[in-house]
Amino acid sequence: MNDYQYDNQTVRGFIISSIFWGVVGILIGLWISIQMWAPSWNIAPYFTFGRMRVVHTNGLAFGLGIGAIFGIFYYITMRLSRRPLLFPKLARFHLYLFNAAITLAALSLFAGMNQSLEYAELEWPLDIGVVILWVIFAVNIFGTIIKRKEEQMYISLWFIIATVVSVAVLYIVNNLFIPAGLFKSYHLFAGVNSANVEWWYGHNAVGFIFTTPILAMFYYFLPKSTGLPIFSHRLSIISFWSIVFAYLWTGAHHLVYTPLPNWIQTVAIVFTMFLIAPSWGSVVNGFYTVAPDWSKMRTNYLTKFFILGITFYGLQTLQGPTQGLRVVSQLIHYTDWVPGHVHMGTMGWVTMVVVASVYYIIPKIYDTEIYSEKIANMHFYLVLIGQLIFSITMWITGIQQGALWKAVNPDGTLKYTFIETLVKNYHFWHMRTLGGIIFTVGMLFFIYNIFMTIRKGKALSAIKREGVR
Amino acid sequence: MAEDLDNIASFEAKETSRKLPVGWLILFWGLIIWGIYYFVAYTPAISGWSQEKAYEESIKK
Repeated sequence: MNDYQYDNQTVRGFIISSIFWGVVGILIGLWISIQMWAPSWNIAPYFTFGRMRVVHTNGLAFGLGIGAIFGIFYYITMRLSRRPLLFPKLARFHLYLFNAAITLAALSLFAGMNQSLEYAELEWPLDIGVVILWVIFAVNIFGTIIKRKEEQMYISLWFIIATVVSVAVLYIVNNLFIPAGLFKSYHLFAGVNSANVEWWYGHNAVGFIFTTPILAMFYYFLPKSTGLPIFSHRLSIISFWSIVFAYLWTGAHHLVYTPLPNWIQTVAIVFTMFLIAPSWGSVVNGFYTVAPDWSKMRTNYLTKFFILGITFYGLQTLQGPTQGLRVVSQLIHYTDWVPGHVHMGTMGWVTMVVVASVYYIIPKIYDTEIYSEKIANMHFYLVLIGQLIFSITMWITGIQQGALWKAVNPDGTLKYTFIETLVKNYHFWHMRTLGGIIFTVGMLFFIYNIFMTIRKGKALSAIKREGVR
Repeated sequence: MAEDLDNIASFEAKETSRKLPVGWLILFWGLIIWGIYYFVAYTPAISGWSQEKAYEESIKK
């Protein structure tokens, strides 16, 4: 029995948990997409859009996203530090506590307990739980890195450190609430200050849950799975420091044309546009890494997940900053364009890289190969098509919505009533549900493939054990 | 089952490890310069622009 066996089981536990919460989150996402065009799918009070949407976002960001980040970070940190985790038992406890917290989170949101700040919906007792969870994680990650047996710190470790530190600061500051009973509380900041802190947090949740940790995985698993070394160490380091520096200033771009002082909006927009550079640093680095041998796109089934993933990251980080510009924001803000944007990031970039990392890890843990590359390829094309349908239909309908809202008669009155602009969305909302179904079927292929690989791996190790006896 | 520990040296290309593509450098510095312009142009205390004034102008016609 080698030293890593126990830690690998913890990693696998996190991966399976995150897949479970992913299924819950995706199915709820499908359900609420139907609610948009079929109101009878709202079943009051628990299964209404208002309650289910937060279960969808929290379930996928914190259940699937953070769950995968915990497991995959443990995996990467051990290997780059060349040692097992410093506190293996603590990591196992962390796994159980994580699932307990997500379960309670989902139940409390269904029950309607909500701090009413986006991505910070969980009420204060759960916030305390989340902080404890994160401290446990930080202690293990930092401890393992400090006691590492490899002097040089590869770029992925820097992204891991930035993630652990930033999420802690963001989460604690924005969740400073004054309790008014066990299930109700009020934000410490009021009015426009509350909005500013909330979006500083909200946007950086995107930065430090959907960006830096995924880049840590990208920089680690791309060379591991292709055998091609990262093109430029310097480019990766400059991209890292400039992205972590710039990201924390950008939150106010969510508050363009609000009572927030103009200069704060302007500073946020400046840093937001600057973010294109460090984001594209990683995009360029990824492309140049595979450039010496593009045939890997055909011969190595994981390469296309990473390259399409980083391509959508590149598109996302062009589209996102552009949205921050006042002239663009006034057309598309508050329209369906925004979920189109978000889902290109989550379905096109985050999911692509996370599933590819899982495809890499699970067979490695069992010292075997993936159950079926063919199924993995099917999975790839289905999630790609599903995501494209979702994003593109929402961009079209978003622009249409914005244009209709802004259309005025010569006397200055609005040309269209709100309901007139709403009914024009229905076709696109049907198509979005279709895109969602295709994506979901793709993910089912993935789950089947992973579980068959685990089954195969278990059978193999049983045979090996018999052989030793 | 042997654990494959990482050899960091194999992660990064040697010959190109210190390269920064020219196009990317132009993007990097260009965005900083653009940012300075935008900050000056859209900060009320410097240029006099404000979203309230911009709105008033947009409905004048």
